[in-house]
Amino acid sequence: MAAVRDIIITGLLLGGIFALVSVGLSLQYGVGRVLNVAHGEFIMIGAFVTFWLFSSINLNPIVSIVITAPLIFVIGWLLHATLFRRLMHNAPNLDVFEGQSMLAAFGLLYVAQNIARIIWGSQTYQVNYMNTTVTGAQIPLNRLVALAVVIVVGVAFYLFLARTRMGKAIRSSAQDPTTAGLMGVDINSVLAICFGLGLAMAGIAGSLISFVYPIQTSMGLQYTVIAMIVVVLGGLGSITGAMIGGVILGIVSQLVTHFQPTWTMIAYYVVFVVLLLARPKGIMGK
Amino acid sequence: MLEVEGLSAAYGRVQVLWDLSLKVEEGEFVALVGANGAGKTTLLRTISGVMRPSTGTITFLGKRIEAAHANDIVNMGLSHIPESRKLFTEMSIKENLEMGAYPRRSWKERRETMKWVFGLFPRLEERSKQLARTLSGGEQQMLAMGRGLMSKPKMVLIDEPSNGLAPKVVSEVFEILKSLHKEGITILLVEQNVRQTLNIADRAYVLENGRLVLQGVCSFLRESDHVRKAYLGV
Repeated sequence: MAAVRDIIITGLLLGGIFALVSVGLSLQYGVGRVLNVAHGEFIMIGAFVTFWLFSSINLNPIVSIVITAPLIFVIGWLLHATLFRRLMHNAPNLDVFEGQSMLAAFGLLYVAQNIARIIWGSQTYQVNYMNTTVTGAQIPLNRLVALAVVIVVGVAFYLFLARTRMGKAIRSSAQDPTTAGLMGVDINSVLAICFGLGLAMAGIAGSLISFVYPIQTSMGLQYTVIAMIVVVLGGLGSITGAMIGGVILGIVSQLVTHFQPTWTMIAYYVVFVVLLLARPKGIMGK
Repeated sequence: MLEVEGLSAAYGRVQVLWDLSLKVEEGEFVALVGANGAGKTTLLRTISGVMRPSTGTITFLGKRIEAAHANDIVNMGLSHIPESRKLFTEMSIKENLEMGAYPRRSWKERRETMKWVFGLFPRLEERSKQLARTLSGGEQQMLAMGRGLMSKPKMVLIDEPSNGLAPKVVSEVFEILKSLHKEGITILLVEQNVRQTLNIADRAYVLENGRLVLQGVCSFLRESDHVRKAYLGV
């Protein structure tokens, strides 16, 4: 029983992290049409900034989110307001823009990863934070804390999209950017905010990952691949779909890891293929 | 209030509008009629900043707007209710209306404005929590119009509100346009339904193949041989 409970809790945590990362990617692609293959690099940056703050000034990794999230938001906002906006304005149509922006994102991936490698090298680190277990449980306390943060961030983001003026502007722009413009929405500004928010979600996930799993400067790409699977699984452009897809994949991952760790990646693709056969447009796709 | 001068526009290399000039005074109800593909929608899209003209000027309330962004133009009080409704189908009716009030100045007053819009379209209030895609065609047109009014515009551009609606609903839509005009809103209406349009507007322009071929007060146009033959079938 304890094993089942642990699998579920760890699965939910991992699923929640996948969900944050995937919602971030979905914001960038679903609203802004940027297939950001460098998305995972910002998980790595979030993780290493948290690690660096922890090891240099002993800053609590949860508290460091208040630094990493805004920092990465600003980086994302600037990247969109300069690089991607320019590409979009010069592209004759959205298909060309999608191709070009993906190539630009590849460039970003190498730049981010190599700068990180110059600073931190390629060894493995981990932030030692609350890694004792609660009495009677097998799970380290830090996982429960991370799960709580994931839930808080997920709920806060959902409320932001559902209730606020900017949240509604984002949702309407995802459905029909031209008409959103007619309503008074400044599309350029919404796209830059979405890109920044998407990366900030990755950054928050990175801060949490830094004290739950080992981190390396090359860790980004594996998360990008998972996020892409989740985004397609959830239905392209659907934020809710990305949340549900992330949680499903997280739980599947933990179940498989429990019995046969080397099969995890295979399991992702099996779930992916089976779900797409059943629902070709994804969980929330239309 | 709105003045268009020497306006030309093109999609890529295909020129759609040729040297158009038109004028709408404050408080007027002006119609722009013409067949499918005449360039009516393109003209509205150019005025509201969705498209850029290749030459010509557009002046609204004394300010040049031909190079302005769509969101700045609606902020100035010129609202465009687009062709085929263009609702946010995955959002509720209430949220669609809220999006119409997006400019900061109107956002603060969105609750009061919504009461006014619900007064004009009572059926929207009954269904305010439903998703926009669950509405019937007529209700969707009401929502599109209500949404376009939520920014409290001084002038509205309305593109083909009668399109695809049953005759009874078309009459309802035209009644509402009349009452909006009575409330003091300046209207530029684009329509293919020439007969009914010439009955409610003050003045009209006739657009053919991207060029304005006729203009005048509606009572005069109704008697014109060209209009009778080409549009009224008599």
